Amino acid sequence: MDALLEPGLAVDPSSWRGALEEAKSKLAGLAVRRAGATRFRVTDHEVRSALNTDAADPGYDDPFAWTTLTARRSLGVAAVRLLAGGQARSPLEAVRCRLDESSRWVREGSSSASQLDRWVDSLSSAGRAAVGAEAVTWATRLWCALDWSSFASAPVVGRDHWWDSPHSALLALRGRADVRSENAHLVVLSGPRRSSVRAELALVTLVESLRLRGDDVPGRVVGWWPDSGHLVRAEPEPATLTLGAEAVELALGGAAPSLRSAA
Amino acid sequence: MVLVAPRPLLRPVAPGKTPADGGTGAEVLALLRGDAGARPRFDPGLAGGLRAWLEDAAYEVVSARGEHAPPLFLGPRQLLGSHEEHSALGGGRGMGMATDRLLLSRLAHTLLRQLVHTGEIHDPMADALDALRAGGDDADVREIESIPAAARTALAENLALHARNLGRLVPRFAPGWMPRTNDRVAIPLAGGRVILHGMFDLVVGLPQPGTASLCALGLSVDGPWAAARRSLHYLSLLETLRSGTPPFRLALLESGSGRYGVEDVREEHLRAIASHIAAWLGQATTAPTTPDTAAHG
Repeated sequence: MDALLEPGLAVDPSSWRGALEEAKSKLAGLAVRRAGATRFRVTDHEVRSALNTDAADPGYDDPFAWTTLTARRSLGVAAVRLLAGGQARSPLEAVRCRLDESSRWVREGSSSASQLDRWVDSLSSAGRAAVGAEAVTWATRLWCALDWSSFASAPVVGRDHWWDSPHSALLALRGRADVRSENAHLVVLSGPRRSSVRAELALVTLVESLRLRGDDVPGRVVGWWPDSGHLVRAEPEPATLTLGAEAVELALGGAAPSLRSAA
Repeated sequence: MVLVAPRPLLRPVAPGKTPADGGTGAEVLALLRGDAGARPRFDPGLAGGLRAWLEDAAYEVVSARGEHAPPLFLGPRQLLGSHEEHSALGGGRGMGMATDRLLLSRLAHTLLRQLVHTGEIHDPMADALDALRAGGDDADVREIESIPAAARTALAENLALHARNLGRLVPRFAPGWMPRTNDRVAIPLAGGRVILHGMFDLVVGLPQPGTASLCALGLSVDGPWAAARRSLHYLSLLETLRSGTPPFRLALLESGSGRYGVEDVREEHLRAIASHIAAWLGQATTAPTTPDTAAHG
């Protein structure tokens, strides 16, 4: 997957600075408008839900529950982290290790134990096998897709980045990426190909840009569908920042007219 | 039909006794491993040629349906008339269980996953239901639990037979083989307006660019053998379109009879299935098609 290793494209600093200021201004306005409302976190899920009006995924409106599908990414990235760190030799071994960790944390009353760990621990051995099998498939596909030795420095696996609005403690944005290298952020995609995907990836670019100091430009964001092998890139351009800010506006119930018409 | 080992593994075994081969699936494993030097060679341009062929046919369908028609999701059920598409039940949640055969297939596939992941099955029916619950398929579980007691007992006994055969047939792959189950494939054609999709029951091996290096195993509960084999060829075509190379070897396991077969993937398999799909798409330009909402990718 060369897209993760290629150097970034040159960006005109003044255009970038202008787009970043405009995005910050829009987000500040959104935060103020929501003052007094409940805490709102904008993630790729909210962007996807706001933009996909064709009910492409019938599960969007279902309340969240842990299942083999909703658990696979959390367990899968943990497994790939173990593999990348040399602590496991295969995805199967890595996932087993992670599942055992869940049980151990719950049994010992560790503060590291999450809802997911408690759910995994509550399952029968057959239920855990089903959860593990789904995570193994997810992890194997990611592990086999990359040449891990080609990275100049060890990539970061499965760390989501948050940006908290300085104007309101109620607004936070999440940039989800599964592998982060010096030049790029890889997002593993699932579900059908959809018109919202560029906006979903633009949110990652926006979060990275807001977290960087000054006018530094983040790496490109690469979306990858393991089901088809297709890639989609969001280069760090001023237009990507604009798209990301409009996606947040739309997710918060705003107009974002250009984005709505594009969808 | 190029089957390396079509002879049945199932032998009459008294309940509780261990069959002669120790239930390791050693024969299947040995045949999958085979002679690595004899792996078939594939034209590097094969994937591009097959895709061009299918793209042409897909654009004909798009022209006939109109640019703004919703995407057409096509799986083995539509294209091959396969009854063995075990994902169909999950995708049709709320529509009620289909036939007993589909139900059995779904349960048997959950046991295959468990066997690959843990190497053992304790109580086939209870384990399969626990796996469905973990998958969020509570409606399916409730439906099974609402089956009258006599029918449910019969289903459990039948499933136990399949589980025993699976225990004998499924190789215990070392983790280094990278075994993964339910590997979904979805290939968009005509700019995503037509999507061919399917799911490998089990894939082993490390993908290597330009080399056919994967083995795929398919589970069929009770055939028909030819249809199940054709589904594996279909999935091989999708893998060729996804990664540029097909799997190099396929195994088909029939849990009802204990039969199995192993064969190499050959170009003629891929061309035959591509030809079938192109012809199907050609007919779809004049006949109404049923969209499938269970597809991803």
